[in-house]
Amino acid sequence: MNIASMAAPAVKHAAVSAANLAEKISIRRLSFYYGESMALKDIGLPLYENKVTAFIGPSGCGKSTLLRVLNRMYDLYPNQRAEGEVTLDGMDILSRAVDPNLLRARVGMVFQKPTPFPMTIYENIAFGIRLYEKLSRSEMDVRVEQSLRRAALWEEVKDKLGASGLSLSGGQQQRLCIARTVAVKPEVILLDEPCSALDPISTAKIEELIDELKADYTIVIVTHNMQQAARVSDFTAFMYLGELIEFDSTRQMFTTPQDRRTQDYITGRFG
Amino acid sequence: MSLYDKRRRKNSLAMALSLAATAFGLGWLVLILGVLLWEGLSGLSLRVFTEMTPPPGAAGGLLNPIIGSLIMTTLAVLIGTPVGMLAGTYMAEYGRHDRLANVVRFINDILLSAPSIVIGLFIYEIMVAPMGHFSGWAGAVALAVIVIPVVVRTTEDMLLLVPNSLREAATALGTPRSVVIFHISYRAARAGMVTGVLLAVARISGETAPLLFTALNNQFWTLNLNVPMPSLPVVIFQFALSPYKDWQQLAWTGALIITFSVLALSIIARILAAPRKSS
Repeated sequence: MNIASMAAPAVKHAAVSAANLAEKISIRRLSFYYGESMALKDIGLPLYENKVTAFIGPSGCGKSTLLRVLNRMYDLYPNQRAEGEVTLDGMDILSRAVDPNLLRARVGMVFQKPTPFPMTIYENIAFGIRLYEKLSRSEMDVRVEQSLRRAALWEEVKDKLGASGLSLSGGQQQRLCIARTVAVKPEVILLDEPCSALDPISTAKIEELIDELKADYTIVIVTHNMQQAARVSDFTAFMYLGELIEFDSTRQMFTTPQDRRTQDYITGRFG
Repeated sequence: MSLYDKRRRKNSLAMALSLAATAFGLGWLVLILGVLLWEGLSGLSLRVFTEMTPPPGAAGGLLNPIIGSLIMTTLAVLIGTPVGMLAGTYMAEYGRHDRLANVVRFINDILLSAPSIVIGLFIYEIMVAPMGHFSGWAGAVALAVIVIPVVVRTTEDMLLLVPNSLREAATALGTPRSVVIFHISYRAARAGMVTGVLLAVARISGETAPLLFTALNNQFWTLNLNVPMPSLPVVIFQFALSPYKDWQQLAWTGALIITFSVLALSIIARILAAPRKSS
């Protein structure tokens, strides 16, 4: 199929052009390289405001790579580079003029493995807030509580805010990481397989959380789990070998996929 | 005999040999410590810590070399630790993809295994000779040169143990590089980095050769770093080789003090480095 014809984000998403959808992030003609090897080929798709978009596809298809472009995480590694255009509210985030740290404060990220910082639960949350805001002790207390409540963790940790973040269970740690991300008040939250290291109960809690969070944030989630994509997302992008094969509303995608490869992947014939 | 029995026999043989080798190695260590305790304890008294090194035949202690060692060791750590930590930080955090880091690592490894007498001679050439006399400063700098590669190495190793995912997680919040290093990497590697400094202290507190060429020795009490300064290892060296019984006794006691100080430091380092479950 011809993916090159994606000047406008128009892979195959007739149903998507429905009303009152605002493009928070637009990706156009994006290619990505690890050294010489091309990991993303001419990707183009929109990420709609206050919606959950899922990236699915077999391992190595470039989902996580695409996610890491959105907050310029690849900047940390000198031999990785992106070409093309990615705009956040119209601002080209790939431009050198953009301070990646300010960008990351607007586009938060939660990783596959929970990564609590080696400090107390309270400090885990306060750390990010202090980077960009000067709050009094009591204001900070309020912010920390809000953030933990937002991540549905407050009830479990309110009596041990001084305990190490590492003392929590895996599912709690992951919610701590979500709370930490929410605390800096980003506009977009990127989730890189946030449940792959968690048990089913923790997974259900996080999925529930994603559903609540989308009222305030634009959410992008990478997942290996097709059921999860179907449960939590409004839109789905199917990627294969570095190419975007299909982008559509999740319902469309999972009921009537347009591309043969999407259908094969969703029905479990490969991947 | 079945194959299984054969294997069992081989296993017990290998096990016995390993145990014997361990016992052989540890045996010497126990013997050294035993002799040291036997010979050193008899001379250990309060006087050792309160009186100056005596002329032959008179009563005295080791106060001036103990103080001298403490001063020079402290100074060496104060000079060597910041340099070593910053260099280690460069290699583990900033220079990961630079060729320069590999060059620095290679040179540092050479420095790490350089004979300490060479370092003593080097400092003699650049400090003692131009100044025209031995001094406590020269001794401290010589020891600092030994401290630096140890601290560089442990700092780099400990920072490399900090999972990259932690750095990425901090970066993803919009944290500038310097804050990530200072508040996340250092915090995660803190115990190991402190251990590295303690190991460096342990390493230099027994060094004699570099001090012979730099601080030399001094029979008298001094806090002046511009004159020759006494130190425990050098005094032990001098007294142990002397024909006088009371000097030899003081040498044993000095050796006992150094050994057990180093032992204590190593134990503290161990405790600090031990993985702690929730603080």
